[in-house]
Amino acid sequence: MKEEFLLGNGAMALGLLEAGCQIMTSYPGTPSSEILPEMVRFSKAANLNTGIEWSVNEKVAFDNAFAAAISGKRAACCMKMVGLNVAADSFMSAAYIGNIGGFVIISCDDPGPHSSQTEQDSRMMARLGKVPVFDPASPEEAREMIKAAFDLSEEFQVPVLVRPAIRICHARQNIKYDRLESNMTKAEFKREPSRWASTPKFRFMQHKALNEKHVQIAEKFSTLTPYNIHNLAKGKHYPFGIVTGGVPSSVVRDLFEEYERDDIPVLKLGAPYPFPEKLSDEFMDACDKVLVIEETDTVIEYMLRDKHKTLGRLSSHVPMEGELLPEKIEVMLNKALLDCALDPLSGSDCGMEAFGLVGSLELPIRKPTLCPGCPHRASFYSIRKALPKAIFPSDIGCYTLGINLGVVDTVLDMGAGITMASGFWNAYIQDDVKKPIVATMGDSTFFHSGTTGLINAVYNDARFILVILDNHITAMTGMQPAITQGDRVDGRKGNAISLETIVKGCGVEYLKVVDPYDTRHMIKVVKEAAEHVNDPDGGVAVVIARHPCVIAFKDEAIPEKFEIEISDECDDCGFCHLRFECPAMVRNEETEKTEINPVLCAQCGVCLTICPKDAIETV
Amino acid sequence: MRTMNYVLSGLGGQGILFMTKIFATTALNKGYNILGAETHGMAQRGGSVVSHLRIGDAASSLIRAGAADFLISMDESEAYRHLPYLKKGGKLFANASSDAFPDERVAGYLDKMQIEPYAMEAGKTAMELGSPRSTNLAMIAFYSAFEVGPLSADDLRGTVDNISPGPFKEKNLKIFDTCHDVGRKIISGDIYGTF
Ligand code: SF4
Ligand code: SF4
Repeated sequence: MKEEFLLGNGAMALGLLEAGCQIMTSYPGTPSSEILPEMVRFSKAANLNTGIEWSVNEKVAFDNAFAAAISGKRAACCMKMVGLNVAADSFMSAAYIGNIGGFVIISCDDPGPHSSQTEQDSRMMARLGKVPVFDPASPEEAREMIKAAFDLSEEFQVPVLVRPAIRICHARQNIKYDRLESNMTKAEFKREPSRWASTPKFRFMQHKALNEKHVQIAEKFSTLTPYNIHNLAKGKHYPFGIVTGGVPSSVVRDLFEEYERDDIPVLKLGAPYPFPEKLSDEFMDACDKVLVIEETDTVIEYMLRDKHKTLGRLSSHVPMEGELLPEKIEVMLNKALLDCALDPLSGSDCGMEAFGLVGSLELPIRKPTLCPGCPHRASFYSIRKALPKAIFPSDIGCYTLGINLGVVDTVLDMGAGITMASGFWNAYIQDDVKKPIVATMGDSTFFHSGTTGLINAVYNDARFILVILDNHITAMTGMQPAITQGDRVDGRKGNAISLETIVKGCGVEYLKVVDPYDTRHMIKVVKEAAEHVNDPDGGVAVVIARHPCVIAFKDEAIPEKFEIEISDECDDCGFCHLRFECPAMVRNEETEKTEINPVLCAQCGVCLTICPKDAIETV
Repeated sequence: MRTMNYVLSGLGGQGILFMTKIFATTALNKGYNILGAETHGMAQRGGSVVSHLRIGDAASSLIRAGAADFLISMDESEAYRHLPYLKKGGKLFANASSDAFPDERVAGYLDKMQIEPYAMEAGKTAMELGSPRSTNLAMIAFYSAFEVGPLSADDLRGTVDNISPGPFKEKNLKIFDTCHDVGRKIISGDIYGTF
């Protein structure tokens, strides 16, 4: 027996292996990214033969795992919740068709949001796709639920979704575990075109069969302890109760324990869909009012239906947006209890006075920035220098932070840097305006969702510059290996894919590769690219800005080091620390000049060419 | 034991996850259950980062505002930012110059809440000892001098000893001992570090 202080994502990795998951696929995205590497770690340590891969995007990951599951193996895929949007096409069909070996999808939600574009609730996707869903309340429970999900998936031959929220993924808990064993089930795909490739007529039949399964699963979920459970005393009636699930259910548990409120019954729904009607009816019948505390949307609240009894988002007792932090839950519980003429939990102001005080201190706003030495900063600087008036559609990754340098105008979703560049071109050219447009996108995002947009742009003769920021790594989500390097998640070599080949294959004729550290050269190339774009015989121009990430590749990324100092020429214009925004450059309030912070400075030397007064020099 | 709640705060890049690891490993070795919440993703690029650590039998990983026993911060501003988490009678440890700490605008609040603030220039000390990136370690050692909470200075030092890789062991223990001493001296009144 071993014990580790595991990340929730590690606990889930463990649960997957304990459940005998044989094939596991994913595309990285906060907060899901550590599940796969943790699985590799456990799998290697126990000498298992688990097939684990980073796929090129979430849909690819989904389909890959699904095929394994219909071949009889236990398979899973995981992603962040917006990744499930990318896999939605597959996800919507999968429940109709069903599976043989257990098939589990883990979609990690990000209420807050902390590191995402939306706060969408994957339980809503589960309903849309008619996929049963589990909602864990702790890392340990997530681990157990994954096993229950596999069993359910095999019993009913349906995919099952597990949706841990960020407070599960990035919680840590001490977890004990035993030796892991390989699941030796062999792949055996039984041909059955009427099922696996069914035509619309059969889809109707499958839909009907699925609905029948749902009735049975809902029945099962009504007795699925400890995930779906209440603590009503037999025959007792209550003025007030709580219906909750997932992360908020843990907060409620802590609060009731701390304030010793065993007078308030709680219905916890850790498996809320297909909705356990029987269990919830029992609870609703025993309470005059219930407050629904769930993250992030109104899944349970809508299902309870009795709006005269139900308090929650629709009655303004629970905020419609944002994470349900414990202090917020205390506030809403106090209010709901008072509204029902009951004693509140506490007279605590839940930190309100202190938050007010902190607000009045005007503490420095710490916005995330690109790292010192980051090659993206150099690229953004050059792009802006070359074409200051352009529109800058961009995309998702570390380089989204180019917003601080004024070179990111739009971020919609993975791949939209390119597709929106096309859209901007079309919108302007209709008015006979040749608008300069420079799209930026990272290498990983380009493989994920960039190529279709690029093909479309070439095909429809849109005109813009695409700068692919190739830093040999998927940095933002925690340094996953890049497709261009050919390294796989388990350390084995795959086959590297060349960006140049793909770009050319999309029909692009103008392609240049630059090292962004050489800003003078990059500025020149971007200007040249603009000429190609404007040439009647030209087209989309692609510039690959290639330089390794300084965090992932450290010294290797900075072959030549420069010790920097700022001369007296510095006239406090602030360009370097405000616009170029290198965190290693700080304004000395006394001398009123810029200084270099030697601890932060990566000695990349990029700043040597950027100072309008030429005050940045080597020592 | 009642659940003990630690809020650790700092800036991206200061090594807050390592700090969490030292506390957690120590607690684990003592047989406690632990639950923690960490910052990953976008905020790690230089933003303000926080780590919650609950030693005991808690169900949820986040510490509620007004419920933390200890706030240990590697940056003065980040200490103030997370002040609302401290409970009445909680203790605040910050990497700050003790002459100007705490900011007079929060002094009244600390008083009212009976929060004891302690400061040492942990970053500066780490730098002087040749490890500019060891503010995290320095703050753990400083905190350990006060012998509050379930983890003793010896326990924490033992963990640092165990998990520091060979070439760093000596340096890390030196930082630990130096900063622990600063804390001891504040307690004995030899130097000024609280008010
Ligand atoms: S992690 Fe790498 S890519 Fe991301 S900001 Fe830092 S240097 Fe740039
Ligand atoms: S100060 Fe200059 S040399 Fe140092 S990291 Fe920033 S850009 Fe690079």
